[in-house]
Amino acid sequence: MTSKHPTDLPPSHTPKPSRGQTTIRAILAVGGGLTLVVLGSLAVDYGLAPSWLTGQKPVATAAAEDGSGLFTPPDESTIPDDQFGQSVRRGMAIFNDTGTNAHDFVGNDLSCSNCHLDAGRQAYSAPMWAAYPVYPKYRSKNKMVNTMEDRIKGCFTYSMNAQGSPSGGPPPYGSDVYRDLQAYFFWMSQGLPIGKKQEGAGFGKIDKPAQEPSRERGKEVFAANCAVCHGADGLGQKDRNGKQVFPPLWGPHSYNWGAGMHKVDAAAAFIQHNMPLSQPGKLSTQEAWDVAAFIDSHPRPNDPRQVGGITVEDALKKWHHSHDGFYGQTIDGVLLGTGFPAENQAAAPAAAGDSSGG
Amino acid sequence: MMSDKMKKDPRLPDETFEPFEETRRIPLPVYWIAIALAIWGVFMLVETSHSTQVADKARAQLDKQEQTKTAQVSAPDPAAGKALFSDNCATCHGDAGEGVAGAFPPLHGSDVVKLGGAQAVTEIVMRGIGGPLNVNGESYDGEMPAFGSVLSDKEISEIASYVATGLNDGTKTISASEVADIRKVSGDMDPWNGGAELAGLINGLPAQPDAKTPAAKGPDAKLVAQLVNEGTDTVWSCASCHGEKGEGLETVPRLAGLPAAYLVKQLHDFQKGARFNDSMAYVAKGLSDREIIDLANYYAGMSSPSGATPSLQGDLKRGAQLAKEGDWSIGVPACFTCHGPSGIGVAPEFPGIAAQQPSYVAHQLAMWAGGARHNSPLGLMAGISKALSDADRRSVADYLASLPPVPGSKPADMVAMTTSASAAKESSNDQ
Repeated sequence: MTSKHPTDLPPSHTPKPSRGQTTIRAILAVGGGLTLVVLGSLAVDYGLAPSWLTGQKPVATAAAEDGSGLFTPPDESTIPDDQFGQSVRRGMAIFNDTGTNAHDFVGNDLSCSNCHLDAGRQAYSAPMWAAYPVYPKYRSKNKMVNTMEDRIKGCFTYSMNAQGSPSGGPPPYGSDVYRDLQAYFFWMSQGLPIGKKQEGAGFGKIDKPAQEPSRERGKEVFAANCAVCHGADGLGQKDRNGKQVFPPLWGPHSYNWGAGMHKVDAAAAFIQHNMPLSQPGKLSTQEAWDVAAFIDSHPRPNDPRQVGGITVEDALKKWHHSHDGFYGQTIDGVLLGTGFPAENQAAAPAAAGDSSGG
Repeated sequence: MMSDKMKKDPRLPDETFEPFEETRRIPLPVYWIAIALAIWGVFMLVETSHSTQVADKARAQLDKQEQTKTAQVSAPDPAAGKALFSDNCATCHGDAGEGVAGAFPPLHGSDVVKLGGAQAVTEIVMRGIGGPLNVNGESYDGEMPAFGSVLSDKEISEIASYVATGLNDGTKTISASEVADIRKVSGDMDPWNGGAELAGLINGLPAQPDAKTPAAKGPDAKLVAQLVNEGTDTVWSCASCHGEKGEGLETVPRLAGLPAAYLVKQLHDFQKGARFNDSMAYVAKGLSDREIIDLANYYAGMSSPSGATPSLQGDLKRGAQLAKEGDWSIGVPACFTCHGPSGIGVAPEFPGIAAQQPSYVAHQLAMWAGGARHNSPLGLMAGISKALSDADRRSVADYLASLPPVPGSKPADMVAMTTSASAAKESSNDQ
């Protein structure tokens, strides 16, 4: 008797499914496929799909919660096409080319956007969206509550050296220059809470340097990293039509001794977070402090408060005692803070250049 | 007995086993994915064919508009003139044509425009102008590029008419056909040599400063021209690739108007291998220092029409944004922040980029991003190029190609033998 062991049997084919089963399977297959399509498109719609898959940039939300915690100001294309929008655009034009669009009140070769990068939008370069919602505020600099207009007036007075401008001073209160600039700032700050300090405000924090900032080391940092744009003499560069392209960092056409940037700590923070352009963070903390000390120990226009026979010594006690700067020091034989006599403006760059030799 | 014999020893392999495959049903999820993919594929097909249809339609419509535009040659459209003005002129002359004190003359209420009318404006737009010039009693000494090679007759007629009648109280406009007539005569001429030459065109123009005499051509001028046009036994001619007017072609760059010091540095970099290109390395190694300087000065001083047109299907709007404002969300500042307004360049380190060949620009950006080119100061271009997507690079290259060419440098910006040698040495130390 050759009874075969069950395992030796030829494979038993699964019985052919019945018609009904096939139909059910077909329905299940098609239904599942459709469900997948629906789920996929929903995922794309709600931005759950990764951006490499969809090829779309994630949409920036008003108070961008993308991890950086930084506010993203609205796009220029969203400036409304009405009277208000026109004012915003004028404000933006003044901000980006101050010497042209607020010509009468600018006494040097700078624009607002030289320090407030990306038209005042860049975090850690004192973005205007972080400044606008925290005004009015008390400032110890002038010991009073400042409105945004007061604050901008200060910028013109010091950073834009308005004393050397065609009108001899900052725009008068109520000027359209303030109106348009404020419209621009307001538009940029939409959606931010009033009075709340924003991440990215000011120039950001910088650690204290390990060593006392050194002008000598700073000079080398400057030559290696800054001179290509700002010039070996720090006086900036113009294009061949005489239009300022790279801003002067010292000398008669830069910010004056009353400007915030003359303080070494402010300059160091700005530099570390923003310079060289497109390579922020390239300089170490020590390098940033050193080069800031080098830049801010050069002659620049007078502190405009220093009028009516106030000497550098008086001014030093009155306004410059509490902060980190070179005002009133004698560097390379030049007493810093004496400014440039108006009639010597032409000769001044040479003097500034000489003192950089130290 | 039998069954005992048949009984397998479990230690031995089963000799009677025959391999077989079980037929299993294809699992349902496989069907799901296949069907989902099929639906998605069909959807995408329909979607893209729809958008190409839309694009075709839009293009056909544009062509039609263009045709009707050129058909009505009579009255230039003031609104179009204003838009063209803000795209092409406002960067320097201001949105309202107010100019920039000391740098760019005003066009609004300008005595030159008042006296010369739309015709004089056309002449200046067509050829460009450089050198000392008095406008409304103020003196200027800038250089305006020639727009003849980047604007059509129609566009120039609209701009010139807008400047004459919109920004000034003139009443006479100029038609496209009149512009075409001017182009026939002066389209290829060098830029106007300041106010002095302009005085010959415009009757009654107030006193103008003396024109600068063009730099006397050195005794070597002939030798340089020979090098450029014919080459030597060892070096082929520059013009054979860079064009007779140094305007470049495709991936061969425009050289006309680039800063002399920049050109010297590039040639030295080719010699040393700091910049790679087999052809240029061969040529540069065959040149003496003297020849390099002469050639650099020759091209720096050259004013040539634009030989570039947008050709990479880039998005011009995105390109304009990158060039003028940058995209700080990806860490890219505006091109013009360093390369000067309208890409005119800032000597010596930042070459003019206006009217540069778009294929060349896109190619160089890709090389910087990949590290094949690495001779920019501080490595600035590497980071910027890496941050740009391929589409961004094409967009910005196309936008730059739409700009008017950089005029030739003034003699003062030329390189002399000694300074350039030391400058080149210095900049190579930076790397």
